Amino acid sequence: MSEPVAVPACAIPGTPLANATAGIMACVHCGFCLQACPTYLALGDENDSPRGRIFLMRSLAEGDLALDDPSVHTHIDRCLGCRACETACPSGVPYGALLEATRATLAQVVKPPLRARLILALFARRGLMRAVVAAARALRATGIPRLLARLPGDLGFAFAMLASSASPLSRARYRSRGTGARGSVSLLRGCVMEGLFAAANRATERTLVANDYTMVPAPNQHCCGALHAHAGDLEGARTLARRNIAAFEAAGAELVVTNAAGCGALLKEYGHLLADDDAWSARAAAFSARARDVSELLAAAGPRVGAPISYRVTYDAPCHLQHAQRVHAEPLVVLDAIPGLERVALVDSDQCCGSAGIYNLLEPALSAAVLAPKIAHIEVTGATLVVTGNPGCLMQIGAALCRAGVPARTVHPVELLDASYAAAARSGR
Amino acid sequence: MALHTETPSRASGPQPEQAQDRRGALIQTEALASLLAAIVGERGVLARPSELSAYSSDGLPGYRLRPRLAVFPHTTQQLVDVVRLLARKQCPFVARGAGTGLSAGALARGDAVVVGLNRLNRIISIDPLNRLAVVEPGAVNVTLSRAAGAYGLHYAPDPSSQTACTIGGNVAENSGGPHCLKYGVTLNHVVALKVILPSGEITTLGNADGEAEGYDLLGAFVGSEGCFGIALEVTVRLTPNPQGVRTLLADFTSIDAGARATSAIIAAGILPAALEMMDGPTIRAVEASIYAAGYPADASAVLLIELDGMDEGLDADVQRVEAHCLAAGARTVRIAANEEERTRLWQGRKKAFGAMGRIAPDLVVQDAVIPRTRLPDVLREIAAIAELRQIQVCNVFHAGDGNLHPNIGYDSRNPDESRRVGLAMRDIMQACIDAGGTITGEHGVGLDKLEYMPKIFSPESLAAQCALRDAFDPERRANPGKVVPVHSCREWVGA
Amino acid sequence: MGGRVSTVRVQERVREHVARGAPVRIVGRGGWLDGGRPVDDFEPLSLADDRAIVEYVAGDLTLTARAGTTLSDIAAATGAEGQWLALDPFGSRNGTLGATIATGSAGPLAHAFGTPRDTVLGLEVVTGGGEIVRAGGRVVKNVAGFDLTRLFTGAWGTLAVITEATVRLRARPERDETVALLVPADGALGDWLARLRILPFTPLALEMVNSPLSATLGLEPAALLLARLGGNDDAVRAQRQLLGALGDMRDVPASVWSTLATAEPNGASVARVSAPPSRLHAIWPVLSRIDAGSLAHATVGRGVVRSICAPSDDGNGQRWLAAIGTCEGTHIFERLPARAWRTIPCRVDDPISRAVRTAFDPARILNRGILGEVA
Ligand SMILES: Cc1cc2nc3c(=O)[nH]c(=O)nc-3n(C[C@H](O)[C@H](O)[C@H](O)COP(=O)(O)OP(=O)(O)OC[C@H]3O[C@@H](n4cnc5c(N)ncnc54)[C@H](O)[C@@H]3O)c2cc1C
Ligand code: SF4
Ligand code: SF4
Repeated sequence: MSEPVAVPACAIPGTPLANATAGIMACVHCGFCLQACPTYLALGDENDSPRGRIFLMRSLAEGDLALDDPSVHTHIDRCLGCRACETACPSGVPYGALLEATRATLAQVVKPPLRARLILALFARRGLMRAVVAAARALRATGIPRLLARLPGDLGFAFAMLASSASPLSRARYRSRGTGARGSVSLLRGCVMEGLFAAANRATERTLVANDYTMVPAPNQHCCGALHAHAGDLEGARTLARRNIAAFEAAGAELVVTNAAGCGALLKEYGHLLADDDAWSARAAAFSARARDVSELLAAAGPRVGAPISYRVTYDAPCHLQHAQRVHAEPLVVLDAIPGLERVALVDSDQCCGSAGIYNLLEPALSAAVLAPKIAHIEVTGATLVVTGNPGCLMQIGAALCRAGVPARTVHPVELLDASYAAAARSGR
Repeated sequence: MALHTETPSRASGPQPEQAQDRRGALIQTEALASLLAAIVGERGVLARPSELSAYSSDGLPGYRLRPRLAVFPHTTQQLVDVVRLLARKQCPFVARGAGTGLSAGALARGDAVVVGLNRLNRIISIDPLNRLAVVEPGAVNVTLSRAAGAYGLHYAPDPSSQTACTIGGNVAENSGGPHCLKYGVTLNHVVALKVILPSGEITTLGNADGEAEGYDLLGAFVGSEGCFGIALEVTVRLTPNPQGVRTLLADFTSIDAGARATSAIIAAGILPAALEMMDGPTIRAVEASIYAAGYPADASAVLLIELDGMDEGLDADVQRVEAHCLAAGARTVRIAANEEERTRLWQGRKKAFGAMGRIAPDLVVQDAVIPRTRLPDVLREIAAIAELRQIQVCNVFHAGDGNLHPNIGYDSRNPDESRRVGLAMRDIMQACIDAGGTITGEHGVGLDKLEYMPKIFSPESLAAQCALRDAFDPERRANPGKVVPVHSCREWVGA
Repeated sequence: MGGRVSTVRVQERVREHVARGAPVRIVGRGGWLDGGRPVDDFEPLSLADDRAIVEYVAGDLTLTARAGTTLSDIAAATGAEGQWLALDPFGSRNGTLGATIATGSAGPLAHAFGTPRDTVLGLEVVTGGGEIVRAGGRVVKNVAGFDLTRLFTGAWGTLAVITEATVRLRARPERDETVALLVPADGALGDWLARLRILPFTPLALEMVNSPLSATLGLEPAALLLARLGGNDDAVRAQRQLLGALGDMRDVPASVWSTLATAEPNGASVARVSAPPSRLHAIWPVLSRIDAGSLAHATVGRGVVRSICAPSDDGNGQRWLAAIGTCEGTHIFERLPARAWRTIPCRVDDPISRAVRTAFDPARILNRGILGEVA
């Protein structure tokens, strides 16, 4: 029990962090989040744990630590933003929001590294981004990345990521039909998804149609802004959010769907992101209320069962689906609709793979440390396909499997369902 | 939360030994840091104040003390070398597991080094035939049970913090948990310890291969709160998973009725595996959390009762328990239909303390134990104290053992509320002592309960405890200033 | 605190002995004074008259009694409430609570309920320095302070004179029945014991007795497993069924346990050999057949064999000691001829134990020599 002491007024008034102190105070220091945190497990330092990071945030807010304190930056930078701590926390600490507020506050003092700024700038520019991914796609088509994937170091890993973005399934060709009775949906195509995982986007459209949704194009959409928000560039994220809200409003569909867990998590948080913007807050909240992950829509529809395809598969939950959106069962319901799959449980499937947006580019060593146990667990399953619904995870895990020589590939769950539907179409069912 | 650094924030009462004898100051901190780094590597030592802050509190963050340094050995050998170095430099140290302790026990004042054991987390071996496991001190409680699960065994002591706390911390605190009602606390499950004494000497206590003979130094070490040395290797007994389990949830419209049901079940000689109580405010905090368990939100109290053992005979006991609950006034008694529901009911209970963070920014918790027939009286008294002091108490506790956990949520930025909470804490503790109870059943004394020790022990008895400590740590360098308030000890004859 | 007349009287006696440097021998009812090493040169300090139950609230399942209270006093009081103190050390039920705790003695019930260290909740003692000290408390869970209760329990009175104790009680099971099974031949013993260990229930006691001991107990002269089953009707019925699958089973009167407790002849030598339970099948054949007449019994779940050598002049003592010596495991001797103790290593001569002894009995006046400690 403590003697009453005067608590200093917030040391950094007006910053995003200052507005988040209620969330910080919700932490009772119980430590339940420690074992959920990949960076704590990898490094064994509480400064790299949720509880420790919250303590750092609090010290910033209370003025115990300065905004330019290098250790604060180190430990906040090392956070994956996977939000596994949130689903472990009984006290309801909104860690994801705290992290964004902290990064935004720190970014006011110390700019993020050049690498990060360049990447974010790229994602914010639609034309440029398209050109870059088109080039990447062309490179992938040459087969060179697969050859260079075993090069040591970050470069080799980058090639491996690119190589692993190719779909492991043969192209499905069938015409999908449905009644459209479940309502109209617009797809957020996603910068990386449309660029490197177009097959998953087409599969999304076909499977939704097959499950009685109507697809409505939303032509003026942009990058969702998730990477910007996670890096502390809240303004950049807000700009993109406004554009997307307008674009999807114009499209007029009842729901907005995405197959990228990272994008989906932010779409569902546009309301929070723009809460202080009087002109946009209501529109943003309405938009977030309409956002869904594709697995949610498919699960709600049943979904229709396809024809048997035989693979040994294991499911890895993307953090932004599992922890941020708290969508746990739906992807498994999607897999349930595919006869013939041999499903093997993956140990710690709810743990981060270390991809975390552009984290693997910024903190490669730690990312690799977080990834290592994941690959070991996958290898034990003997699965040939690792199913996960997020582009970052698909590439991160895919690259590591390729480099480790594990005979398994990554695939989006919707693509598997699509393949099952295609098989059904072939067999004339 | 209070912003004390350096001195623990205690309203009054005996202060722990202050850092006035800064023996460790014999060596410059930077020099010590580099000697430690030579053992564990640069990344295994924290020296910056900003990075030491994370180690300035445990699960009871009303206390903050910033350590001098923190060091994280990766191997047992490194740990041994660290302790021996600290011995040579006469530097005080504090072992730290996961820092989930609830008595400010893992805090190190400014002259002491925190020795973090969380990286020593291997399960060294499991012997399913003899139901023994050997683990490193930093192994997390639940990981041991998971590993033992492959053999149909588990590690029985299950503190609510089991997903986070370490076996070393459990040994140091003699931790309990819901299932300790039937299966016993940590003490009853540790068969041998390899420890390093503060002097740097390594010794084995207890006997994993048979009966132990001589003084029960193992029993003395378990629960010594890090003041006797550091456990390097822990041999524990594993328990077979029960064949059958029945989990009951009884809900009551008054705490009193729940307390009466508890007393009646225990007095009837039924020994449930666990018998836990949660009151209304606790239930509502849990139901608002991610661990919502489906407790009736309008109840004033629920009892979570688990019976286990052979399938045959279990249902007869279930019926008796049910009858006692109904006779005491339970509205309903529900039995978990499957493992999923059982897990959910337990998750809600185990995360209840954490869930209270949503009630108020600050939280204090007590840990008194009272005779079980006194439960109804003492709970009534606690309610009266809460009313008098105008504070909110949430009760969630091991009712079957009479081990109370009144939690008080408040806002430390409100000085008047803080003062009233302080007074209520003392009133509650006094009520428990008057009922024939003790001040802590499983969280330990640490810094938090030092002031109450003289209320239950005479100066001679306190001095005798110090004398035992001195047999292990004559220099009193291991976790200095904890457990026994030396100022209230009498001079010890033998010392 | 600590103001009881009888305690103060003990304190005065101890202080007076400290002043004179004269050792005392702490005595309960004197039934087991040949346990442990010989204590020479002493004056007795008897606690037998300090015999009273201080507090017993049945609903709490705890009991506080003075050290001289006998186990049968406690059994009578608690039995009336359908409860018991689940400690059944060997020897007469007239043994005192204080002595049972001081020597850490336990019997077959330890299989289910452990030893005094698992049962004692609190103690009042007078230390060898003449201080009245209270350890632990009267509640069933307690971590307040360093654990002197465990330290004094099983210390054989070398640190302090126990004057009062609080113990945890248990409810008597609805049914309490004993059955006997034939122990299989040596070759099959390992497997059989393994099957016993994985039974899905914990019997109150599971004790193997060798054939001479069976005869002493009035049972058929064969190696037998005595299983004490407890629980409600359904449970005991099921337990019988499971046990019955392990061999030829018959009912045995409950009195077999009290007969077993007093089966050893006066002046016998007694040793316990313990090892991990999975090795019991290797020790048992050796210790159960040392001599035609040597008695042996084993607590199956704890891996402890207790071997009893009747006194005689034909040198059987040497054979017996030699046989025990061949068994791998921990050897603890309860009673031996005085001469034989010299060869047995002392278990309290490590630095911590010596420091503890010095702290609590600086003048070395309490039960001096009983643990073989060098002054
Ligand atoms: C939400 C919550 C619920 C809890 N529920 C329970 C419960 O049900 N039952 C219960 O008993 N406790 C409970 N606790 C308290 C706490 O979890 C236990 O005391 C636990 O044993 C502490 O383990 P730790 O690893 O976190 O130890 P720490 O907090 O790190 O350390 C505790 C003490 O142990 C010492 N120590 C640590 N490791 C060693 C070692 N290897 N050798 C020697 N000393 C060492 C430290 O110096 C310190 O004094 C709870 C705590 C929380 C936050
Ligand atoms: S689980 Fe939540 S309340 Fe507990 S320490 Fe972690 S963030 Fe804080
Ligand atoms: S978001 Fe992930 S990495 Fe960051 S603190 Fe939470 S669990 Fe750890």
